[in-house]
Amino acid sequence: MDTETRRPRRDPLFVLILFGVCVVTVWLLLMPFYAAIARVTMKRFHLSTESFACWAIQAPVPAMYNFGNQYEIRDLPEGLITPVLDSSRPRYINHFPTRVLTFANGRYSLLSPGQDRWVTIRSSYRGQTLETKIHAKPIGEGRFEWIRESSEILSTGGDR
Amino acid sequence: MFGGKATDGSGEEVEAAAPDSGRVLWAYLIVQVSVFAGLAWKYEFFLLADQVYHRLPLSDPFFPAWLQSADVIRWTYLGSLTAIILGVVGMLPWIRMLCASAQVGCLAIMLLHQGSHNDMTFATSLWASIWVFWFATGMDRDEPADLLRRGAFLGRAIASMILLGGAVGKWTAEYWSGEVFYDIYFRERDFWVFNYLRESYDAETLRGIATWYSRKVIVVETLFGFGLWLLPPKWAAAAGVTIFFSIAFFSNNLLYSVLLSMIGLSAVGFFVPKTMDDTSTRGTG
Repeated sequence: MDTETRRPRRDPLFVLILFGVCVVTVWLLLMPFYAAIARVTMKRFHLSTESFACWAIQAPVPAMYNFGNQYEIRDLPEGLITPVLDSSRPRYINHFPTRVLTFANGRYSLLSPGQDRWVTIRSSYRGQTLETKIHAKPIGEGRFEWIRESSEILSTGGDR
Repeated sequence: MFGGKATDGSGEEVEAAAPDSGRVLWAYLIVQVSVFAGLAWKYEFFLLADQVYHRLPLSDPFFPAWLQSADVIRWTYLGSLTAIILGVVGMLPWIRMLCASAQVGCLAIMLLHQGSHNDMTFATSLWASIWVFWFATGMDRDEPADLLRRGAFLGRAIASMILLGGAVGKWTAEYWSGEVFYDIYFRERDFWVFNYLRESYDAETLRGIATWYSRKVIVVETLFGFGLWLLPPKWAAAAGVTIFFSIAFFSNNLLYSVLLSMIGLSAVGFFVPKTMDDTSTRGTG
């Protein structure tokens, strides 16, 4: 290999990736200061983003153990008493609280009995809470339908 | 494989090497092996997941139909592992680049699929694989020391971003109080750290430990998220490897699948020579 080809070259791909890292970092650092960014990210966690494309573009943004995410599971619709499943205390989950239904182990433990499940998930960040209610409805042959009953911001305590 | 001998003008044998040999190749291999290990770490889990997703399909109109398919997740997972293997054994630059692009494509699909979007393994592996693709484009033509220097910088920039991603989401009362980690880990998680703490301390003390454990995580992720990319390559490599390893070591074994790729990416800094004209980059491994 001659020295000509070893000379530092223009590297647009390097610049492009570094630009991507910077964009993601700026987005992350603005989140504590702009409630709208936190809301967008919480909607991302709840699969409640306005469109799949807007959700997908956020996929590379790292979000390990973000927000206070909680879930409650019921075997009866909200308002009916005496659920068999223990919904007396919401449990925390690390991120993407929808994983209690979408991820393999949660999906198996909740849906393998083949019955309806009602799941309430909440994500909280600096005074804001997004609550989403999901009904997993059996539609035959082991299949379930994901029905998003509601998804709304419960409290806006303001940024601290 | 990693170098060769040639004769210079003085008649002495000097080390001459293929441009993609030596430290450059080792850096490539370490990142690829770490990404592969992270993905393979959950192999048994994905065998179970494969059965569950086929038996219990969940129809959600939010996802396109093909991103709900159990077959898609199966073949993209296997495709990402295959792409890494072929990229490593292929050796030719065009094979490496082709396989790296397939690797990035498969992991991007995993990151968007209904059954795996919630697993941060694919976020860290995707960023490491983007690095691999970029690195593969320069392995056969760039000056090794310069490529390694830029590779290490890009690696620690990505590692800083990953740490900040963890930190910023924890700048909230639920984490500062330790409430989240207490519920997820301290109450009943079967892992050596938490088993030991539960056996050794009463409930009240345990709750206090959870608070300080959580604050320690926030402080470490914040400090190194802001500062890791500024450190010299070898210091950053040592810090990155230590931090990412310790996060899994003190939390749970499944986190290695998320963090092994970051450990590998951080380790690239160890291969950066001290000076730009350090000939040890050429063919000496």
